[in-house]
Amino acid sequence: MEQQPTGTIHALDSVQFNEEIQGIMIPAPAPENASSFTALLELPPTQAVELLHLPDCDGTDSGRLSCCHVSVNQKPYLQNSSNGNLTFPTNAALIERAAKFSVFAGENTSPGEVRLFPAVSGLNLESVKNEPQETDSNPCSTQECVSDPAVENKNQRNVKRKEREKKAKPSSKKSKSVADETSGDGEKLPYVHVRVRRGQATDSHSLAERARREKINARMKLLQELVPGCDKISGTALVLDEIINHVQTLQRQVEILSMKLAAVNPRIDFNLDRLLASDGSSLMDSNLPSMVTPLMWPEIPLNINRPHYQQQWQLDAFHQPLWGREEDNHHFMTPENSLLSYDSPANSASLHSNQLKMEL
Amino acid sequence: MRNLSSLKKEFLRKWIKGLRKYNSQKKNMNLLERKKAIKLSADLAMASTKDKTTLWRKALFANTSTKIDDEQDMSTTSSTPQKKVIRKNSTNSYPLRKRITGRRKILRRNHTKERVEASFIAMRLVKKRTRKLKSLLPGGKFMDDSCLVDETLDYIESLKAQVEVMRCLVTSSELFINQP
Repeated sequence: MEQQPTGTIHALDSVQFNEEIQGIMIPAPAPENASSFTALLELPPTQAVELLHLPDCDGTDSGRLSCCHVSVNQKPYLQNSSNGNLTFPTNAALIERAAKFSVFAGENTSPGEVRLFPAVSGLNLESVKNEPQETDSNPCSTQECVSDPAVENKNQRNVKRKEREKKAKPSSKKSKSVADETSGDGEKLPYVHVRVRRGQATDSHSLAERARREKINARMKLLQELVPGCDKISGTALVLDEIINHVQTLQRQVEILSMKLAAVNPRIDFNLDRLLASDGSSLMDSNLPSMVTPLMWPEIPLNINRPHYQQQWQLDAFHQPLWGREEDNHHFMTPENSLLSYDSPANSASLHSNQLKMEL
Repeated sequence: MRNLSSLKKEFLRKWIKGLRKYNSQKKNMNLLERKKAIKLSADLAMASTKDKTTLWRKALFANTSTKIDDEQDMSTTSSTPQKKVIRKNSTNSYPLRKRITGRRKILRRNHTKERVEASFIAMRLVKKRTRKLKSLLPGGKFMDDSCLVDETLDYIESLKAQVEVMRCLVTSSELFINQP
């Protein structure tokens, strides 16, 4: 007799329970007992699925009670599972939150998304665990839960954005704040206020080295312009190769030309005073022929006129008539020689001067 | 850019001066001697242009002074105005030369470890070439990298001017010979 009223009471209660739960279920599932949710999580999936279907079956009072008890806790999480598949309990709110987080993630690049999802999942777990503890109304709880992970996510996102940007554009220049100057080599802070490239060291030593390297590179560019054929070459070693080649060729040319000059001119002599006396832009043009031609004069008149005064004559004879300089008395000079010397090359001098003007 | 023609003029003037001075002493010279004389005077003239105290110029003066000393020892002529010119122009001596080369040899003996990464290979290539360039430049042993690049710039420019002037002379004298 005593049992019956209790049984009926229990049955009534279970019915009421079911109704209440169904009313609560739709907006947001809020478990009444924290332990129940964790208990659900600990359960293996098979048992959870069985528990899902338990409320449908009929059983004893105790069984019903237990079923109801379990169903109270489980139904909100098992709403979407329609089949008997071993699907994990899905949560509508969780899905919404995941969608919200994915909106955040959508702003960033793909690696960000990859990184965010584990964070999101972790956050979700945390937020879901927090939910059972809250006994407030559902919307408040959901809002709080959303805000907390959102804030956490933002922090994580900032950190991850920094990491991503580190990898993205290493060549972008940033400025460096004064407070950050003391940071070490590996520090990669988002705001840098001095001409320091992102991802590079900020020691005074490395700065000085970098300045030195830039100076050297600027000079190398100048060299590249000077040496013909170096503009298109990239790479210090090859450019240096070209420079070495060029210097070697120039030095060899000097050797060869000096040899040629020695061979061509048996006597190394030039008319200098005219050159030295007058300073003009056309100096080179006018004087070179006059300088060069007298060299050859000694050869011609030598044989004719004064053979025994050859050597001195070669070197010094032409100085006197040309410049009116009185050298030693033993220098033999006659006006005849001077006249002869000037007559013959007079015609050829004009030709040479034209050619030399073109060359210079 | 520097004025190449003015450089050439200055060089020519000084060269001719030097040639005359050099030849006033030695009367009969064979081909090689003449060539040496020409080259020497040309180098000196080049070194004294522009009034710049670059390292290679000073080194050129020092080298030529030693060369002339050797020649003087070999021949028996009296003192040369050329030598005086050189002594006037040379300002620095190089007491560190032997010390530096000695240190370098010791360093090379101890340096055995070599790395295979690309950056190190590139560094080694560049170092080889800088060493070669230093050997080419007069007085290059005593220059560091930044100095070296400056000096090569200057040196290449003066060499160009020298070559051009000499070529002009050669062609004009050749023309004269071939003419009559």
